[in-house]
Amino acid sequence: MGYEPQVDFGTPEVQSETVVTLTVDGRVVTVPTGTSVMRAAALTGGSIPKLCATDNVQAFGSCRLCLVEVDGMRGTPASCTTPAAEGMVVHTQTPRLAKLRKGVMELYISDHPLDCLTCSANNDCELQDTAAQVGLRDVRYGYAGENHLGLEADTSNPYFDFDPSKCIACSRCVRACDEVQGTFALTIDGRGFASKVRRPATSLIGASSGRPWPSVTVSYATDVTPLRSRPLVCSGSGAR
Amino acid sequence: MNSAARLAEILSANAGRAGPLLPILHDVQAAFGCIDRDAEAEIAEALNLSRAEVHGVVSFYHDFSAEADPRLVVQLCRAEACQARGVEEIVAAGERAAGERVCLKTVYCLGLCSVGPAARVGDALHARLDAAALVALIEAA
Amino acid sequence: MTLIRISDDALALACGADAVAAAFAAAGCTVERVSSWGLHWLEPLVEVGGIGYGPMAPDDVSAVLAGTSTKSIGMIAEHPFIARQQRLTFARAGKTRPLSLDDYSATGGWAGLTRARSLSPDQVIAEVTQSGLRGRGGAGFPAGIKWKTVADAAASHKYVVCNADEGDSGTFADRMLMEGDPYHLIEGMTIAAYAVGASQGYIYVRSEYPHAITKLNQAIVLSADIIAPFRIEVRVGAGAYVCGEETSLLNSIEGKRGEVRAKPPLPAHQGLFGQPTVINNVLTLAAVPHILLEGGAAHYDSHGVARSKGTMPIQLTGNIKSGGLFETAFGITLHELIYDIGGGTASGRPVKAVQVGGPLGAYIHPDRFDLPFCYEEYAGVDALVGHGGIVVFDDTADMGRLARFAMQFCAAESCGKCTPCRIGSTRGVELIDRIRSSPRGADSVELLPQMHNARKAGRSREEDIALLEDLCETLKFGSLCALGGFTPYPVLSALKHWPEDFT
Repeated sequence: MGYEPQVDFGTPEVQSETVVTLTVDGRVVTVPTGTSVMRAAALTGGSIPKLCATDNVQAFGSCRLCLVEVDGMRGTPASCTTPAAEGMVVHTQTPRLAKLRKGVMELYISDHPLDCLTCSANNDCELQDTAAQVGLRDVRYGYAGENHLGLEADTSNPYFDFDPSKCIACSRCVRACDEVQGTFALTIDGRGFASKVRRPATSLIGASSGRPWPSVTVSYATDVTPLRSRPLVCSGSGAR
Repeated sequence: MNSAARLAEILSANAGRAGPLLPILHDVQAAFGCIDRDAEAEIAEALNLSRAEVHGVVSFYHDFSAEADPRLVVQLCRAEACQARGVEEIVAAGERAAGERVCLKTVYCLGLCSVGPAARVGDALHARLDAAALVALIEAA
Repeated sequence: MTLIRISDDALALACGADAVAAAFAAAGCTVERVSSWGLHWLEPLVEVGGIGYGPMAPDDVSAVLAGTSTKSIGMIAEHPFIARQQRLTFARAGKTRPLSLDDYSATGGWAGLTRARSLSPDQVIAEVTQSGLRGRGGAGFPAGIKWKTVADAAASHKYVVCNADEGDSGTFADRMLMEGDPYHLIEGMTIAAYAVGASQGYIYVRSEYPHAITKLNQAIVLSADIIAPFRIEVRVGAGAYVCGEETSLLNSIEGKRGEVRAKPPLPAHQGLFGQPTVINNVLTLAAVPHILLEGGAAHYDSHGVARSKGTMPIQLTGNIKSGGLFETAFGITLHELIYDIGGGTASGRPVKAVQVGGPLGAYIHPDRFDLPFCYEEYAGVDALVGHGGIVVFDDTADMGRLARFAMQFCAAESCGKCTPCRIGSTRGVELIDRIRSSPRGADSVELLPQMHNARKAGRSREEDIALLEDLCETLKFGSLCALGGFTPYPVLSALKHWPEDFT
């Protein structure tokens, strides 16, 4: 068996000379100014569902699972992009949030392969875990709608395969490549429903190297993962 | 002028701008009818961006295309105001007239919402279209 | 020699103004190309000694010159459509040559800027705050507060960005102002720059507006000395409705994908290139020169109702007899706008619905046409004032199809960053198709024997409508920006008022 999973606080640690104290689900927590509500909640031992956030890249706010309610604030802000403020009273588990999170997860799964048991990421998959966490039991849209299930997997890299049909377009790999590795080798191609992770075609990688996938992701996987003892890049099992 | 020189000229003309990528892409699209892989690579090199970054931007915006389309383009507005004025009833006639020769493209709003259905060919605008006027416009394109 | 005035606004051109102008010139007249009055059903409209004729065709020229034309509408300024308006932002519409600095100065141009420069930046902001001006792009945020935030921010560079990505169907006020009175926008931006301490401005114009882009570029060159040390550059969009959202617009200017940024940080703190940035709509900035006149703020504040102060350039569009630009104080009802001013539908059929506020605005049923036009009243019934566009539909409109279009538009224009909008809009289109289809069947994948826990019977229409409502809630509260967040308004309003169109 593998590793001891570590807590993912969702957003990076913030250094600040000042602190703020807030209440998350009745628990009082004091954090450096600039810390996200998500991280503050994680520090209290709470767990807000999330897919696009991870604590070694900056908050992005795309998956919309980490929505919370804050007393005195309109709507349901994403906890990853909302900074904790002095005196803030945050609720992370309410019936309204549960419904919204389930609604978002229902959309994800309406465009995802249903091969969990035989998937290489089975039992080591944030998407699977989060679907369970939010209690998704039925995808009322059905599965016959437009989807990405026919996209072909890229197996050209010796270290991992990239299966775009399983990608949830959270941009974690793109952001890790930009922010952690500084290589800027990946991008989201297209927009809207057609958005997909892409590296520029081989001919663009440079005549000298000819390497199919940028080395960034390789070194990322080998260097960083063991350090943190958990998969840091992909939440939706696009890359394994 | 060959294409490499033209591209270099575009890059240098936009060199002084802050955030020059979109103006460059517009110029390249206008000059070559597309922004192909080689152009992406050249632009990336010139702006000290990665090819992925440039490609991500090119692929995001509908005004930019990776491959040139030799056909003439007629943009027909099919947004709500033109729908209220009957654009959907003339689309089929327009598509028949366009055939393979003309690219009849949907655009969402040309700002002529009180006199639709409206169309654009290059910088020329046309309003109050009925099926006959649209067909004439496409045939003249 | 007879002086003929004809607009060179894009809408007039689309209606054939150039050919009419050429015919007058060929007949020996002096032709002046001016901005549009906004009487769009009369375009091409020509003015001869204050009297209007329209809609004109080249064949009508001789009759006009002979004084026998049947297309006279009398004195344009006294036409009820004009006389009923309160034009502050569009005071010059129809009256000046867009690029003439002489015309601009002679009609009070630069007076607001001159006076602003005689005040302290704080005083300028105080006057904008006092005027009650709110963002005209749709969100309605008080302009003075936004400016104050930027003014108070400490930074070496600050920017003023004008959002001219007018993508809403049913709107053209930004376009008319940029094409017809570009110095007015430039003056407003320059006042904003002075107030907040910015030295560089950008006008982000959608590429669908080539005439506006040309006029602005010319106007910026011609007025460069007047607005110095402030500088303005036009940036052209590239076919992305979502770039009308302020953070995605900023990304676009920076040369990035037009994806929406999470807020905070607000653009006023970290906007363009990470610097404090005022980002306002064209109409917001164009309201400013008037406000900065002596007593202008109080005059502006004296218009309107409650917290919706000043005037709104309302755009009457779609299936309406007399469409065009109608600037008026807040508080006017849809009934007045559609029937008294617009003359009902162009088709002569009964009005079925109007969409206010663009593709993200609600469809309003005729039984609510008494609703006064202001931010709070509209918000109270889940509707939007938005950018002031009103699209009229007659009774042939299929509201189910329009609801589907709202989802389709969201899918076509989604930036793809957040899940509700990226996937939900596509599911919304499919779901509305399913609701409207008959006979109803089970999902082909769910029927497979491997899908052991899946639903085997088709879902009922009622279940699918409940799912559509749930999807709308996910979009409304889950989306990152207003594109996904407001798409439920047209969908749910159509479903609520015209359920019969969903069968």
